[in-house]
Amino acid sequence: MEQSEGVIALKGVSKVFRDFWLRPTVKAVEGLDLSVAKGEVFALLGPNGSGKSTTIKMILGLMAPSGGEVRLFGRKPDSAVARSRLGYLPELSYLHPYLTARETLMYYAGLCNLDRRTAKERTAQLLAMVGLESVAGRPVGGFSKGMARRIALACSLIGKPELLILDEPTSGLDPVSTSEVKSLVKTLSAGGMTILMTSHLLGDAQDVCDRYAILNFGRKVAEGDLKTLGTSLQDVFLSKVGVGRGFDVAGFLK
Amino acid sequence: MKKFLEILVLESKRLVRTGTAGMLASAAVAWMFAMPYLVRSDGTASGATEMYMKYSLGGVFALVTVALAASAAGSISAERDEKRLQLTLARPVRFFVVALGRMAAISLCGAAVLALATAILVAKIDSRPCSRVYSPKMESPREEALRLYDSVMQDPGIDAEIKKAPKDAILRVLEQKAWDNYQTIPKGRDAAWKMGDVDAKGRLMSVRLRFTNNFDTREKVVGVFRYGGFSGSISNVTQAVVAVPLDSQEVLPEGDPSVLTFSNRGENTLMLRPRRDIKLLVEADSFAMNAVRAWIVLSSMLALVVAFAVFLGSALGKAVAIFTVMSFLAVTEMGPSVVEQYPDALETDTRDRISLMVTRAVGKVTRPVGSFTPLESLAANDMVEFGEVARAVGEDMVVLPLLLAFLSGLALSFKKV
Ligand SMILES: Nc1ncnc2c1ncn2[C@@H]1O[C@H](COP(=O)(O)OP(=O)(O)OP(=O)(O)O)[C@@H](O)[C@H]1O
Ligand SMILES: [Mg+2]
Repeated sequence: MEQSEGVIALKGVSKVFRDFWLRPTVKAVEGLDLSVAKGEVFALLGPNGSGKSTTIKMILGLMAPSGGEVRLFGRKPDSAVARSRLGYLPELSYLHPYLTARETLMYYAGLCNLDRRTAKERTAQLLAMVGLESVAGRPVGGFSKGMARRIALACSLIGKPELLILDEPTSGLDPVSTSEVKSLVKTLSAGGMTILMTSHLLGDAQDVCDRYAILNFGRKVAEGDLKTLGTSLQDVFLSKVGVGRGFDVAGFLK
Repeated sequence: MKKFLEILVLESKRLVRTGTAGMLASAAVAWMFAMPYLVRSDGTASGATEMYMKYSLGGVFALVTVALAASAAGSISAERDEKRLQLTLARPVRFFVVALGRMAAISLCGAAVLALATAILVAKIDSRPCSRVYSPKMESPREEALRLYDSVMQDPGIDAEIKKAPKDAILRVLEQKAWDNYQTIPKGRDAAWKMGDVDAKGRLMSVRLRFTNNFDTREKVVGVFRYGGFSGSISNVTQAVVAVPLDSQEVLPEGDPSVLTFSNRGENTLMLRPRRDIKLLVEADSFAMNAVRAWIVLSSMLALVVAFAVFLGSALGKAVAIFTVMSFLAVTEMGPSVVEQYPDALETDTRDRISLMVTRAVGKVTRPVGSFTPLESLAANDMVEFGEVARAVGEDMVVLPLLLAFLSGLALSFKKV
């Protein structure tokens, strides 16, 4: 049952944001069908404001869809069982500024039901993995954007999830870290983890992902297999989303 | 349980590391030591002590309540406003645990600061043991009001306009009157009050008498109190409140031993309100023990306020939650005096009637926090009753916060980001 439904299954999902008087303001997602199978690395792509993060929040059960149905591991997305099997990296890192790097990891480890010893072990491993052992005792409130990103990434992995949801994992990272994240995703996928990620780095997405979907104005405009894609993802993206009007700097400067 | 502790520790770290806990503790200590210099007493040593007992700990309680209510209202709501909350809620943790853990951490912080203040109070005050307080066993004011209601309505001497008022309003007035009913004891006569079950084996006893009349007549009161095999006499009273010690009598009295009597041996008629002015005191345990009980009750009241604030924070945005909880605290604080000051005569105006109704409704909800204050008992050296401690812990610290935590969980499941 789970196999046939896939790890993530969206059917006709839409999300309308409303203002205080319940008047619709934004149709962020419209009639979206999406399914991610076990072991797949799936790229959710689209220009700014196309509804990627909104879709992810609905998959996580953080937002209720206005229409359609979301299933996560064949269950309601906010069921505790579904939540215990996933890791999530939000588009910004959102850390508790008064906790140190180590405490941050230990906190999420505790929420994932890890016993203290395992939590300590994994915390040490993950701190080493993201290269922040030397600052493990510093409050994360003082971290640079990239450092915070690494801690948040480590947090998403602390429970050894079956499904990892990464919302722009490389935003704010330097080129070396970016390629490290790329190989991290490859390694995790080889280990059998299902991964859903968004990214604006289309070249990198093409390298690590199995399948992709492109959103534009909340609608799915393309979907396909990356392993058999003949052209570059960049070309597909531009042909589906269209070349923007661009910034009219000359007009501004006049 | 484990996750509850995780959240509790997280919230405690927030309180400590953002400086909230430290600031509160220092402010509490500063107030405990500075208060006698800031608040003037009537000049007597006992007056100063009583002032200190009431306002030192009372000031700290007010400070802690306001500060932590604001902090609690902002606890979950700020996390949501800053989008951090989604990371916790995307983990396998029950939403009510998220609320409960935060309630517990903030309440513990408040209890710790109150404990510090209580310890300073006990160290600074060298007080005699506290006493258990017994009132005469009488019909309750409510019962008296209900009993009198029909005869008032039939009394042709009472204005028809008044009779048109709602039954509730009339009952309230009658109840108020019942509290203030005077009893007259002419010279040479005895008065007797049944005291019910008094547990006084081998303990020191006294009678506390409060005078509402002026100094001249007070001075001429002469008489003897008797209770069980004990008696004590009174004459030449100067204070408004006196405690008459009861000593064992050689001659055992006849009649019911559970009745307190007063024989008026003076030249004047004595008037007093038995429901308010006469109490039998039985020595109980030490002042320190009483302070500990008062601390438990205060901490429970604080826990309830904190739980309510956390609930508001989980349902509303930060600014709105803080504003709402502050308004509630204000109404709780002022409500009783508003209701007392504007009795039912004003209820002819619709607007007044509506606002009084709202105030009374809120007052009913917040009564546990608003009405009983153990500080009064502590200052008067009256024992904070075990029953009151048990009620406070059970209701204010356990049952109501649990209920509010469940409601918070519900609110969180609707409003996560
Ligand atoms: N809480 C919200 N209230 C109102 N509108 C929202 C809210 N969240 C998102 N939106 C709107 O929904 C649309 C999609 O936003 P979303 O964050 O999903 O885009 P995105 O694809 O993740 O963009 P980006 O690449 O910039 O991260 C946008 O128009 C955005 O303004
Ligand atoms: Mg986004």
